[in-house]
Amino acid sequence: MNDALRWAYALNQWNYRMDVFIRHDHQQRALKTVSALGFDHIELAAGMGGRWDNIGRPEVILDNHGDAAGFGRFLAEASVRGVSSHFWDPALPAEETGFAFFMPLDPSQHDAIVAAADPFIAFLASVGGEQLVVRPAPSAWMTGPLDDGAIRLLGSLWNRVGARAQEAGVGLALHYDCLSGIHSREQLEMLLDATDPAVVGLALDTAEFTIGGIDPIAFYRDHSDRVTHVHLKDVREADTGEEYLTPGAEQTMLQGGAGRRIERWFYELGTEGGRVDVKGFVAALRERQYAGWVVVESDHAGEPAEMAMLNSWYVRHELGQKG
Amino acid sequence: MAWSKWSYMDHWVTQTPQGPLPPQFNRAHMDRYLKQLAAAGFTGFDTFFFTLPALAAMYGSLQGFEAKLNEVGMEKITGVFTAYPSATPYTAPHVRETHDRIFADSLRTVQALDGLAVENFIVMPSSTYHQTEPVTDDKIKAMAELWSRVGAMTREHGMKTTCHFEFWGAVRTREQLATFFDYSDPEAVFFFCDTAQHTIAGVDPVELFREYGDRCTGFHFKDTHDVDRNEAYRTPPDPEVMSPGIDRWFYEMGTDGGLVDFPALMKEIVTSGYDGWLTVEHDKADTFGGSYAEATCVAKWYIDNVLAQAQAEVEATEGAAR
Repeated sequence: MNDALRWAYALNQWNYRMDVFIRHDHQQRALKTVSALGFDHIELAAGMGGRWDNIGRPEVILDNHGDAAGFGRFLAEASVRGVSSHFWDPALPAEETGFAFFMPLDPSQHDAIVAAADPFIAFLASVGGEQLVVRPAPSAWMTGPLDDGAIRLLGSLWNRVGARAQEAGVGLALHYDCLSGIHSREQLEMLLDATDPAVVGLALDTAEFTIGGIDPIAFYRDHSDRVTHVHLKDVREADTGEEYLTPGAEQTMLQGGAGRRIERWFYELGTEGGRVDVKGFVAALRERQYAGWVVVESDHAGEPAEMAMLNSWYVRHELGQKG
Repeated sequence: MAWSKWSYMDHWVTQTPQGPLPPQFNRAHMDRYLKQLAAAGFTGFDTFFFTLPALAAMYGSLQGFEAKLNEVGMEKITGVFTAYPSATPYTAPHVRETHDRIFADSLRTVQALDGLAVENFIVMPSSTYHQTEPVTDDKIKAMAELWSRVGAMTREHGMKTTCHFEFWGAVRTREQLATFFDYSDPEAVFFFCDTAQHTIAGVDPVELFREYGDRCTGFHFKDTHDVDRNEAYRTPPDPEVMSPGIDRWFYEMGTDGGLVDFPALMKEIVTSGYDGWLTVEHDKADTFGGSYAEATCVAKWYIDNVLAQAQAEVEATEGAAR
């Protein structure tokens, strides 16, 4: 796509269960799908690792393809030119780290978390990926809303990871999500204050911001210097206030298990009734000459290829994208 | 310059709140479907005659539907497909007594399309082989008479009647095809090349296009992994889904094991000077849990990365020769 903005597509939705999206031919079909729709870079998601997460954890990718060049050739078979970014949630247990539930709020685990980030940083550096995108804090229903002290503790952790990433030429972007203990605009600004702008950026996810009650355009305008990564997707509902604190919110809130029983939150760009002003947000990115990746993400929003087609249509026809 | 006239033959199934259904489920789903096709670079839309009333109802008229096509970045309805696969006392192309009824049906469909710029009236020239056999010279002649008559009528409405042969139809071998084309009016009856159907029947679509290219008005680009070597074409009631030992006949372009030589066909098309529509068709792509959307994107990838190269090679050779 030939715009000043750089567009990528997140592959996470194809990997919807532990025993799918494993065979290379299945992965090639997904890669060809995003390629045919005009996206020539992808965002990877770490997942839970092991033999069935063949395009998630760096260790397993390298097991499959030998080295970074081998993985590059695999992508090139589908006319995909590279990796924009890699998403990692340290609190999600992975086989490669002994199924450790890393807790960023526990300072005794910081050394281990910093070490656990190393494979991602090394892998991104070797494949030319730009951003390690991390979930900075666990879900609020587990921790409660975080205070200034807790957020400063998180800042100290991510400053360390960011510094290591910078040494390797990789950026670190903290991804806001609507269930996190960092929920309000004030808390998010506190996290930005607690981190070093030289080594830590923010991943702004338009749908997650909107669910959490933060206006993505206003926030971007106020903090454009800190936004180094973007996830673009739409949503039709917002948290009415404290739904994110519901125990087991990943299932009870985001999968409609309780409360208002909303079974689907995320939608394609431009969806009817969408709450995200996608055009306005992209206009703001252009206005500020945003230089990072814009990763379009289907997330949990329907059949992956259908979603990619709808998103591609919107990017080309409504966002003035050529290509 | 890349081939710009790609159309899509409508077989999709999508997820609706009522389970997997065609996108004609409602207008919102249909709108999404058209955007999805446009996103994959298709500008022409092919559909079945029986879908036309639903499209007209959803968009106010077929003109309204075409306006929606334009709005999402597509051009027009390019072809409408009609067929009488099951021979009945009322309709059977090899039975002359049924021709008036088939002609009347065809006229009604074509009249519904008046005012649009639909190019192809695509027909199955025969019913199933097992209902037609023994396939005699006279039965093929009867079919040729029918479609010559229909073809003369559709020309008056600006559309070409073009014949899409099935591997399980009564006109399937090179000899039967030759007989059919010899008996039919070359000004009224044209050839629509379905790459998979001919390949399954043991007929090379590239050779067929070479022979009947001057009568060819369109293609269904789809692949197969099997040639019918066991007379599966005679399986009642439907060889496409009930052939013993074959669970799936049709595949999108670009799968391992595909038998159609699409680059060779593309080169032949470019060399011939053909400048019409090329149509991608995914028939039963959801077999074994497949996705129409993904099949469509994979086929588009193949167009962009393999067929475009084949086209470029021919054009480079021709450029050098000039």
